Amino acid sequence: MSQASPSSAAAGVAPVRFSPKRVWTLAYATMTQLMRMKILPFLLLFCALVAAMGFGFSTINPEQQLSQFKTMSLGVLQVFSIVFGIVATALLLPKDLEDRTLYTILSKPVPRFDYLLGKLLGVLMLIASGLVIIDAVLSLILWLQQSMLLNAAVSQLHSENQDSPEAVAQMREIVARQGLTWNLHWAVWAIFLKAAVVTTVALLLSCIASSTLFTIVITFCITIIGHGHAMIREFVFQPNLGSTATRISTFLLAAICPDLAQFDVVDSVANGEIVPWAAVYEMTGIAALYMTVYLFVTHLVFVEKEL
Amino acid sequence: MKRKLQAFAILLVFGVLKLPLEQRVTHDLRTMHLVDAPLHLGVKGNMGQMGLAAAFGGLRGLIATIFQLRAHVEFTRVNWAQVDKYYGFVTELQPRNARYWEEASWHMAYNAASYYLYNKELKPALRGQLFHDYVQRGTDILKEGLKLMPDNARLWQKLGDLHWNRSKDFKASGDAYLNSFQHGGLNFTERFAGFAYAQSNDPASWAKGYAILKKLYDEKKATPGLIEFLKMLEQNLHIPAVQRIPDSAPVRQTPDPQAGPLR
Repeated sequence: MSQASPSSAAAGVAPVRFSPKRVWTLAYATMTQLMRMKILPFLLLFCALVAAMGFGFSTINPEQQLSQFKTMSLGVLQVFSIVFGIVATALLLPKDLEDRTLYTILSKPVPRFDYLLGKLLGVLMLIASGLVIIDAVLSLILWLQQSMLLNAAVSQLHSENQDSPEAVAQMREIVARQGLTWNLHWAVWAIFLKAAVVTTVALLLSCIASSTLFTIVITFCITIIGHGHAMIREFVFQPNLGSTATRISTFLLAAICPDLAQFDVVDSVANGEIVPWAAVYEMTGIAALYMTVYLFVTHLVFVEKEL
Repeated sequence: MKRKLQAFAILLVFGVLKLPLEQRVTHDLRTMHLVDAPLHLGVKGNMGQMGLAAAFGGLRGLIATIFQLRAHVEFTRVNWAQVDKYYGFVTELQPRNARYWEEASWHMAYNAASYYLYNKELKPALRGQLFHDYVQRGTDILKEGLKLMPDNARLWQKLGDLHWNRSKDFKASGDAYLNSFQHGGLNFTERFAGFAYAQSNDPASWAKGYAILKKLYDEKKATPGLIEFLKMLEQNLHIPAVQRIPDSAPVRQTPDPQAGPLR
């Protein structure tokens, strides 16, 4: 015989619905909370580092210098966004529990899903803001460097009497391909998508785990496994490889972890490859799918969690 | 407990359903050359690549750049063995980046080879031997890169340059330039293929060179160099007078640009 829950039975109170405004308030509060953790000076330091790197590389040829600059900056950006996403998310729930903020929020008519979504959005908004600022600085430096290097390369060709129209056109094409293009912003977008998926996984683990360290370590492990996901999948799809136990454990690993290598377009962008719209749609779509499912699973775990 | 079981079940069902989708997205991104496909390097090579991919995740490019900077430091110290070693790491980390293969080859075939050729502290025979060895090393690096990217016009062009400028194997140079052009290389690579064939000592290559240069001439793409080589080939191949081009060979105004490592 089914029994109505005490909360819904009490005085016939209508269930609290999902409210975007409430989620926004929670997200904004989370972002403010994280901003107080001295994120801005770190961002400024990173921008200064990017600027210094932009002019600090050895010049064998302009293509090499531009490519090195892009690879280094985007690589560091990737590390920054993933580390920040994991650590900030792993700290959020324990900190709210410690400060008793969680009890204050959940004692009000705030559904647990709104709380989770607000926290996730807060972290993602901060990562996105950081990436936008750094992308702007990166673009500016790349644009300046591109013009300077092209002028230097053309005048060098001229001084060596090698400035045939073909040679100059080839140099222009190489520098333009390695310089500032929309592809750079798509690479930053891919970095954001990857960080967003990792952050959602961290949120799921922080609801399951009882310690921050556990969440951080396991999320890093999943991040590493996620980068080798294509190889795990290929093993799973090979019918005659490994024992049954190995195959089952590999399958579980492939099923649980997200494939993060799908967002690894950074190297290709640094090599001057063009990112088509189809690739952007596919990356965005699969990231949205991961996030939706992992968030739903997180909700199922969190709704039953004893606080 | 019920919700936790539901969560686990959803995670598993989603995991099963997502595998084909992930496989498709990865395939699409590989087709667009945005994500590296696994290389056909044999079991040992593939294990290495798998290890690198899993260990460094999306940071292989970053690590390759760090090694490249280390190689540059060794280049300034004129330590060629170390330059070669570091570029070995770089090309292993980023095997599909043609620029790295090109730079590794350039360091060996041009910088290291010239360093030893003009090093007066060494005996002449040793200088020649080391020059030859490093040019060969540069050629091998490019050929290794071309095994992974056989349709890369730029690597073919660089191989053509290397055979032309360093090993003076004009037949191989012509073949490489022609491959470059056939894989979408710039127009001049076709002309250079003709020039290289014209300078070889193989009559079959002369015929190939003549065919290329005559076609360009007929398409009104003649340059002074093209006319000069065409006249030379007409003479070497004993082309009948009626089929010869009406132009006279241009007179060289500058010293022979071929003066270089073999002088």
